[in-house]
Amino acid sequence: MELTDHARFNQAEWEKAAPEYEEPGRRKWAGEVPPSWGIWRILESELRALPDVADKDTIELGCGTAYWSAWLARMGARPVGIDITDAQLANARKFMAQYGPEFPLIEASAEDVPFPDASFDIAFSEYGASIWCDPYLWVPEAARLLRRGGELIFLCNGVLAMVTDDPPNEHQLVRDYFGMRRFDWPDGIDFHLGYGEWIRLFRENGLEVEDLIEIQAPAEGPETRYDWTTREWAHRWPSEEIWKAQKR
Amino acid sequence: MTSSSDANRTFWDRQSDEYQERHRDFIGRPEPRWGTWQVPESELQVLGDVTGKDVLEVGCGAAQWGILLAQQGARMVGLDNSARQLEHARAAMGATGVDFPLVHAAAESIPLPDASVDVAFCDHGAIGSFADPLLVVPELARLLRPGGLLAFCHFTPFSWVCIGENDEVGDRLVLEYFGLHRWEDSDGSVHFQLPYGEWIRLFRRNGFVVERLVEIRPEEGAESTYLTADETAWARRWPLEEIWQVRKWS
Repeated sequence: MELTDHARFNQAEWEKAAPEYEEPGRRKWAGEVPPSWGIWRILESELRALPDVADKDTIELGCGTAYWSAWLARMGARPVGIDITDAQLANARKFMAQYGPEFPLIEASAEDVPFPDASFDIAFSEYGASIWCDPYLWVPEAARLLRRGGELIFLCNGVLAMVTDDPPNEHQLVRDYFGMRRFDWPDGIDFHLGYGEWIRLFRENGLEVEDLIEIQAPAEGPETRYDWTTREWAHRWPSEEIWKAQKR
Repeated sequence: MTSSSDANRTFWDRQSDEYQERHRDFIGRPEPRWGTWQVPESELQVLGDVTGKDVLEVGCGAAQWGILLAQQGARMVGLDNSARQLEHARAAMGATGVDFPLVHAAAESIPLPDASVDVAFCDHGAIGSFADPLLVVPELARLLRPGGLLAFCHFTPFSWVCIGENDEVGDRLVLEYFGLHRWEDSDGSVHFQLPYGEWIRLFRRNGFVVERLVEIRPEEGAESTYLTADETAWARRWPLEEIWQVRKWS
């Protein structure tokens, strides 16, 4: 498997970051955290972003410790998780052995997925391929993998969060919206598109726009361990968003 | 009529003469153009070929768009909530020798039959700006035939949350995004907006396929009789104006 340069860079960074994500992953596999989304852990039972996944073939693109695939399996899906980081997959396999259930975990990039066309009903990502891969590579791959009527569902950072500064200057627009695509940070290379560009990319790949769920952090509660936003900000503006699109 | 359509009727009747005087030359050019920088439709290709189609302009003002589309072979109907705006439309139609029906009504309740329109569009008018989208989008879904096009140009939700105390867009987030819906200006007009996701859900609920969101980036130093040079400079970096293009399921 030939990785793109950004994927190789991100792979190295995730090998380093994996220990930090081990315990949060374990808690979800262990059933201590119910199925929930993003940094504010909004419950799926409240958000209802997923369709009925029972008996569906799902692929999680950039699964990390694969806790979402474990949740999907417990909802009755037949998941597959793919990731390019050995350390993350090793943790996923450890938790799978400890807590179950079993499903395939494969070392592969969402930009070049070793599965045939039309193999899945749901292509899924929560802060996986959805931000770490180039959308002009991974969205066509996801569209190829989906069966007719299948759904692409992914969570990424909100647009307003990407163009504004970090706290304490989180209200300040500092990055341009037009032309946004690749963001090079010291510890990772991630990808974000504007609203119109996502819609254009979906349509070009035979995906119909179904929904854009913009996540509002509840007013009360603790801050997250991430320093790029605050609860107060994320209560007023969307720090995260979930796109849903359906294969024609 | 709802109270916002009453308020906006009063507002537009009052300011119509001044508006048409101020923008006449800018928006009265001989080919269809969109929005506050008057980007040509030939460049954006939103409406496509309107020849022989039943086209409704919702919030037609002085019918600058409608006259041009009628000349291209569209079967036009122009609708506006302001009688004074429609007087300007009649004068312009008389001057160009173009004639088509003008309807004086609020966009929330349009006196036309179900499935009678192929293209419903609006350029900074009732749809997306001056009428409640939660009422207007269902009304247009009723009027449009299967496969019919709904397109409208308006200011973006992004720009709404960046409007500062001087009523101009700035480089800071000010207004809360969640719950965007209705805003009353001190001049008496009432404006509407929704978060991006709410727009998409509204279209989908009413049987529309989302085809395209054109986010307009003006040329450097683009002219506008609506915006300041600072606002146009802002719009080179962030989306100020956009066109939704959605189509009724066929």
